[in-house]
Amino acid sequence: MTEVLLLGRRAVREVVRYPEATIPTLFIPLFFLAVNIGQVSKTFPSSTPFLRGQGYVAFQLPVSLMFAVATATSGLALVTAIDLGYFDKLLVAPIRRSSIIFGRLAADLVRGIGGSALVLLFGIALGAHVESGVAGAVVIVLLAAMFGVAYAGFGILIALRTRNVQATQSSFLLFFPLLFLTPNFVPFDRLSPAMETLARINPVSYVIVGLRSLVIDGWNAGDIGIAIGVIVALGAALTGLSLHTIATYDR
Amino acid sequence: MPMRTEEQPTAIAAMCLRRTFKGGIEAVRDIDLAVSAGEVFGFLGPNGAGKTTTVRMLCTLLPPTSGSATVAGLDVVGDGAAVRRSIGVALQEIGLDPVQTGRELLELQCGLYGITGRSGRERAAELLELLGLTDAADRRTKTYSGGMKRRLDLASALVHSPQVLFLDEPTTGLDPASRLTVWDEVRRINASGTTVFLTTQYLEEADKLCDRVAIIDDGRIVAEGTPERLKAEMGHDVVSVSLNGADPDATQSALAGLPGLERVMPEPGALALYVADGANSIAEIVRRLDRDRIEVGAISVARPSLDDVFLNATGRRLEGQEQSQEAEQ
Repeated sequence: MTEVLLLGRRAVREVVRYPEATIPTLFIPLFFLAVNIGQVSKTFPSSTPFLRGQGYVAFQLPVSLMFAVATATSGLALVTAIDLGYFDKLLVAPIRRSSIIFGRLAADLVRGIGGSALVLLFGIALGAHVESGVAGAVVIVLLAAMFGVAYAGFGILIALRTRNVQATQSSFLLFFPLLFLTPNFVPFDRLSPAMETLARINPVSYVIVGLRSLVIDGWNAGDIGIAIGVIVALGAALTGLSLHTIATYDR
Repeated sequence: MPMRTEEQPTAIAAMCLRRTFKGGIEAVRDIDLAVSAGEVFGFLGPNGAGKTTTVRMLCTLLPPTSGSATVAGLDVVGDGAAVRRSIGVALQEIGLDPVQTGRELLELQCGLYGITGRSGRERAAELLELLGLTDAADRRTKTYSGGMKRRLDLASALVHSPQVLFLDEPTTGLDPASRLTVWDEVRRINASGTTVFLTTQYLEEADKLCDRVAIIDDGRIVAEGTPERLKAEMGHDVVSVSLNGADPDATQSALAGLPGLERVMPEPGALALYVADGANSIAEIVRRLDRDRIEVGAISVARPSLDDVFLNATGRRLEGQEQSQEAEQ
């Protein structure tokens, strides 16, 4: 546990000392939130049934939260450490290899909490109201951050498998279809049949729906439970694969 | 240098150690090694000879394809975790984290070896002082010079006072002054009882630092012993004839059949003559060149170097390769 804390603190230090790695990942979701609302708020006024009296910003906010936390930053940091030889230094230390992964994920949690809190505050400033209250806002931030931690396993996996900076950087692009094949602009029942089918098999949809329910509906145990289930399953799968890959690295 | 005796325990042993990479590339081919505790052991060879692959296997970073090895009496495959607790490693690629300051890096490294809290802070400060990095301790490592980075890397390998220290080409790319500083450190570390396994492509480094050396070429150990013994086994002197514009073929012809001549090696602007007795051969060399009216430059006699040992074992020189690699860098 000590080694995870030590490596986590080092990774957090990296986040703080290289803001240039984090700022773009926050600018894009904030930018999209502002632009999307500007473009469609007249199309979806607050009288739109699925908005339950709120502005469209409340509906879009979870999408921007997902955008803010799903990054390849940890994967990039890891592949850079491999390039620099620092990764070898860690491998030759008498620590569990898994602690290298968990240390990175600890930093993802911190980054995710900071990033999602910022996006949430921006959304509130644009007029969103969190129906589930302050406790709900905390849960939103934590769920979004946990999704970021779960998704970080993908970048880490690509970094360990390819040991290539470009490939790891490109892995982030895969998140675009995952984010847009969801009920991101309208609910499931307003999508075309084909899009609805794709959105319903996309696990990211259920995380968005869960977060959205906390903003628009209040406490909806079913939606929140499914979102937590998806995050846990995704995290277990991607982190599990990353742990297996680091355990067999050069073996 | 300390005297070594047969009774000293073995710090590193390798038996038929082999590593074959994908595509059938045989990087290390069935090598045997025995390094006594307290030795500075040099592993000498050109780039691509198998030095780093051997070090990576001994450090548990890479499993052998076949064969076995022990470090500090522990099996590198079966007791990997225990081996890692017993060794310090400074790899060829300086493994420094640019995010952290020198002090933070050492304190983290201490923590990874279980030296935490005040003890970790004190050990980091002690090593920074020892390696002359106290003034730069709170600067990020990315601002360090090459020599400072190498010293910090060395310090990070020493936080837990390892029994065996692996140094993979610790002076490659360093300026002469930094190189001497690293040599001093290696001597100091060894004097405290740490066994040092050092890979190098520098003959002078192996000659000056190491109690014993093994020469590796193309994955195989081709010679092993103390530098003095290896050179003495050559059993000849080297007479260097600077051509100074003279025709190398004509010069070589004039010297053919020189008494005691074992081999002639053409070198850039010179000929190296391997003779049984260098001092007594010079008069005959001069006489033969005069007879054939060949005007050459300086003629000098030297005892064989490790490069001559390398030449004898492999049929080519290491020194030329070393210089061309430095020029490329």
